[in-house]
Amino acid sequence: MIHRLCILTLLTMSTLCAASETQLRPLEINHRADILQRGAETIAGVCMSCHDLKYLHYRDLLSIGLSQKAVDSYRGELSLEAPLLSSMSADQRKAMFGLVPPDLSMMARAREGGARYIYTLLTSFHTTEAGGVDNSLFPGIKMPDILSYSSAEDPEAIRKTAREAAIFLDWAADPHADERHTLGYYVLAYLGVLTLLLYLLKCRIWQRLDAPDSKSA
Amino acid sequence: MSRMVDWIDRRFPLSHFINKELTGYPTPRNLSSWWNFGFLAGFVLLLQVLSGIFLAMHYKPDAQLALGSVEHIMREVNYGWLIRYMHSTGGSAFFAIIYIHMARSLYYACYHKPRELMWWSGQVLLLMLMATAFMGYLLPWGQMSYWGAQVITNLFRATPFFGDQIVVWLRGGFTIGDDTLSRFFVLHYLFPFLIMGMVFIHLIALHYVKSSNPTGIELAKNEQITFHPYFTIKDLYGLGLFLIIYCYFVFFNPDFFIEANNNIPANPLKTPSHIEPEWYFLPFYAILRSIPDLLGGVIAMSLSVMIFAALPFLDRCKIPGGARYRPVYRTLFYLFMVDILVLGYVGAQPPNGVLMQVGQAATFIYFLLFSLLPFISRKEEKWLLAKGLPPAVLAFMEEEAARESGRKKS
Repeated sequence: MIHRLCILTLLTMSTLCAASETQLRPLEINHRADILQRGAETIAGVCMSCHDLKYLHYRDLLSIGLSQKAVDSYRGELSLEAPLLSSMSADQRKAMFGLVPPDLSMMARAREGGARYIYTLLTSFHTTEAGGVDNSLFPGIKMPDILSYSSAEDPEAIRKTAREAAIFLDWAADPHADERHTLGYYVLAYLGVLTLLLYLLKCRIWQRLDAPDSKSA
Repeated sequence: MSRMVDWIDRRFPLSHFINKELTGYPTPRNLSSWWNFGFLAGFVLLLQVLSGIFLAMHYKPDAQLALGSVEHIMREVNYGWLIRYMHSTGGSAFFAIIYIHMARSLYYACYHKPRELMWWSGQVLLLMLMATAFMGYLLPWGQMSYWGAQVITNLFRATPFFGDQIVVWLRGGFTIGDDTLSRFFVLHYLFPFLIMGMVFIHLIALHYVKSSNPTGIELAKNEQITFHPYFTIKDLYGLGLFLIIYCYFVFFNPDFFIEANNNIPANPLKTPSHIEPEWYFLPFYAILRSIPDLLGGVIAMSLSVMIFAALPFLDRCKIPGGARYRPVYRTLFYLFMVDILVLGYVGAQPPNGVLMQVGQAATFIYFLLFSLLPFISRKEEKWLLAKGLPPAVLAFMEEEAARESGRKKS
């Protein structure tokens, strides 16, 4: 128990330094197939006009249950092995925004708050007094209000789209997370039983020392 | 089976070795769980070497390809995510274990005669571990990797006369770049094997002077038990407990130890607003930052790591068992622990007014504790001798003193 406390004390020190995430909207992350599929639709149809997801391949989209037909429609002439790249060249995008929009395949791991950050960012656009559009989470962001949140008549519908896109990116940043958790429960259960047995064996072996005239080496 | 063993024994001291170092190796019966951590450190070293070898099969030490190859490992290599997370979590686990192992030795003053060489070989191991971890952190080539390496290599600029040349020599260029990455990769692969060699020396010394124990008094023969089976099973039980914590992080919270910033590709043109090392360097980093002058900061930081080596000289109290029989030393120990936690907290924050002063105060206390130790330990010894100690402790001290004077006469 003392070991654990010690290690945890050391560990909590590094969490103290994590940026405050209080301004982020709450988001329940659930990698349900239909959510991921709708998220993929938004990403492929909207975000990928400007963003790449270069560590993802079209075949990966089949693993979240998208139909072959849907994947075919996204990839066009490209092979299933091709990475998910924007249809615009990097130069074109740079000319348009002044920089190449960041790759999205690791975005949910590359920001404090992960998917919550992405969801909040997409739903923080608002009209300014001057009549322009700005983002309260990232003032001066070069990305346009692509989901038209600032002018939406039904913001909840946009929030839903943004949530699903963020959840898709959460999956995309670590596609093995669910497999990892499932395996983790088995591993911990196994270790729990093993450690208990080792403990009992330890007690049993150490009991020999209590017997008379067995102390010496 | 026994014929085979006989055959080997005539040509190689197999049974002799097993008997001497395991089944007949005398170990104090009263070792507490704090004595498990040496074994755990050895285990994690092997874990890191094995997982590292498999990572190296798929990793590409090239500035253009490094981050992509790590993602390739995480996404496409079979169970690559497991190997990578085992390795990244293992680094933190290694430091946690080593720091507990050191704290144990500090608390019980295990650095005293005859274990000075164990303490110093441990100090060398700590430095090698730090170097290995630092170089390994560059390999994913994320923003924190890049800028962390930039900041730390830059410290060597403080070297008198040759500062600039040394920095260029370390980096293989004027800035961190492709050449830095390949040399850090090669050295990160090499160092663990040097560490293994040093561990071997650490163990030879251990098996010569034998384990210390919580009383600090050399135990009588009948208080010694054999390492196997008593401590093999106890260490395995400890290993089980460790693995439960370790696997929780590997499977459920691996990103706990990976800065979000480090998942952004390294960008030499964009300095992150806040550069911060891994948690295990934070106290030393805080000491570095609390001295306004670069050279002064570097000296203070190196001293804060190296000062442990001086403990056998600084602690002049001859009462065995460290904090066990010495209330003042115990207080100093806990003060030191709190001070390190404060420094760690300060090291993680952006440097600003009040925290800067807290860091400076903690740095001052850090060195104050070490520099007062020679006087305090002397005074404490006198005070405790006057106050009275358990007879076993006094008998041990008399025996030691007699041995000492006997050696002087001869």
